[in-house]
Amino acid sequence: MNGTTIEKKSLLKDNRDSDYILEVNDLKKHFPIKAGFLQKTVGSIKAVDGLSFKVKKGETIGLVGESGCGKSTAGRTLIRLYEPTSGEIIFKGRNISNIGEGELRRSVRKDIQMVFQDPYASLNPRKTLKSILSEPMITHNLYGSKERQEKIQDLLDKVGFNPLFINRYPHEFSGGQRQRIGIARALALNPDMIIADEPVSALDVSIQAQIINLMEDLQEELDLTYVFISHDLSVVRHISDRVGVMYLGKIMEFASKKDLYEEPLHPYTQALMSAVPVPKRKGAQARERIILKGDLPSPANPPQGCVFHTRCPAATPMCSEQIPSFKEVKKDHFVACHLY
Amino acid sequence: MTALLELKNLKTHFQRRKTTIPAVDGVDLVINKGETVALVGESGSGKSITSLSIMRLIPSPPGKIVDGEILFNGNDLVKLSDNEMCKIRGNDISMIFQEPMTSLNPVLTIGEQIIEVLMYHQKMSKNAARQKAVEMLELVGFSRAKALIDDYPHRLSGGMRQRVMIAIAMSCNPKLLIADEPTTALDVTIQAQILDLMKELSKKYDTSILLITHDLGVVSEIADRVVVMYCGQVVEEASVDDLFEEPLHPYTNGLMGSIPSLDGDVDRLYSIAGTVPPPEHFPVGCRFAPRCPHAFDRCRNEAPALQRKGSRSVRCFLHDDKEATV
Repeated sequence: MNGTTIEKKSLLKDNRDSDYILEVNDLKKHFPIKAGFLQKTVGSIKAVDGLSFKVKKGETIGLVGESGCGKSTAGRTLIRLYEPTSGEIIFKGRNISNIGEGELRRSVRKDIQMVFQDPYASLNPRKTLKSILSEPMITHNLYGSKERQEKIQDLLDKVGFNPLFINRYPHEFSGGQRQRIGIARALALNPDMIIADEPVSALDVSIQAQIINLMEDLQEELDLTYVFISHDLSVVRHISDRVGVMYLGKIMEFASKKDLYEEPLHPYTQALMSAVPVPKRKGAQARERIILKGDLPSPANPPQGCVFHTRCPAATPMCSEQIPSFKEVKKDHFVACHLY
Repeated sequence: MTALLELKNLKTHFQRRKTTIPAVDGVDLVINKGETVALVGESGSGKSITSLSIMRLIPSPPGKIVDGEILFNGNDLVKLSDNEMCKIRGNDISMIFQEPMTSLNPVLTIGEQIIEVLMYHQKMSKNAARQKAVEMLELVGFSRAKALIDDYPHRLSGGMRQRVMIAIAMSCNPKLLIADEPTTALDVTIQAQILDLMKELSKKYDTSILLITHDLGVVSEIADRVVVMYCGQVVEEASVDDLFEEPLHPYTNGLMGSIPSLDGDVDRLYSIAGTVPPPEHFPVGCRFAPRCPHAFDRCRNEAPALQRKGSRSVRCFLHDDKEATV
């Protein structure tokens, strides 16, 4: 029974192969560093430095990386919460990287919504559940007040909430419940795509599983596309179809989850995977650990050549001179490394 | 093996107006010499309060150790005066906290913070303490320890700060190191470095470690024995191998099922229904019963006791009938 539904799902996905909902080309976001009395710009933090990937409709793209790799900045730049420094964001065939603020709100914001990491900070403590959920609809002038009521009931039902809670405030809910509210709020405008920035990192494991299951159910029901940003490799493996591994503002490796997790090619991906402690049963084979030396270099002054060469166990002299290109070494498996 | 630390029926309760909050409610725990014991549970299970109770760092009021014994090398820590406890803290038992960003003093250099400990506890001279501080920093893996010793904490990254914390904690050769979520705030590659360091140091100095964490991956990486807590009680205790081989308590089972795997795919994650009840509303009977898929009538009315099962113990009626209560 389960097997057939999975097959159906993957068939559907193959059919849609051609239509990309989002295309990102060489996206950059640099933050200026200002210093001195006149606040002159003395340098820049290259938080996102040349990101390119495509997202198919209905799939989940995972972005993983350590803190400071630019994954959150990437998520926010995608929906123009940050203005991109350069590059293109093509959403549904239209470049949205440089359209005006008003136009953005009229035609794009509704279709891309965001779920944030901290369920304690992302809800206004002085608003009831009802006004939190109706605010996006009011801002976008959707529905009359009666329809809005019905829509709210419907949203609460979708995320598994008791409709009686509608007049309660966020502090009356637990972390997992608040994250459900965050998801309901994102769904209020019937978006096509949701960018979820570490949606489960602040939650306990048992609650984390509930939220992940909820997100998967909603995806199937509403045909949503997710960009799922997380530092947790196992969560990303579970939810994603394709995964990009980021390091210092760049994508190091991008592949389907099967290829990436079963045969990681980039030395950074390999190190990252081996570093994750895994609950293992007795007699299970101990995995080879690759311990990376040192810390992440500062994105204000990234290393010359390949940004990873300072910590890479396989670095050659060439790595410190030339920037490796991001190339397809196998079908749909992209790596930025001189080894390939 | 001889027991280094033994908790017997430890109860730490908090008083809020007229309600009593039983944050830790009858915990039994043994840590042997040189052993690493992991204390696992979700937030609100009482694991941090247990560790703070051992250190006698519970803010009082509102908190109070109302019952039980904390035997350290045979001495009951609960009965010690504040002065006597000060001699044990840092010297025999030391602690690493979760937040490396906030647990160092920002206005003192790293050196001063290590030297302070050595001068106070080991009565070293300032010069000798400085010498030792450099040694400790080298031990935790800083190559340029001599320069680093005069730096302030803000110049270090999270992983480096956590290593400084370990250097401070290990500087008096403690017999027991309590690590409260030492790697939760760190990235995985840095976490791997820190776990390796802790393993190495505990072997070298024969230090026992009480590791508090919610990450079962970390547990299987470093611990010898695991104690699972839920709602202020121990629900299961077993060696790492036994626990991962066959978790007995439905809660442990649920915890393991809800973690997505790095090596395989499951279609859907198992999730434990509902949430951890707040301590003032603990259910009668088994505290896990409202969320338990196997709960039957007896679970809702009667509280199960922690029972010995060979080398392990479990608090569940499902495993009740075979052996008598110890």
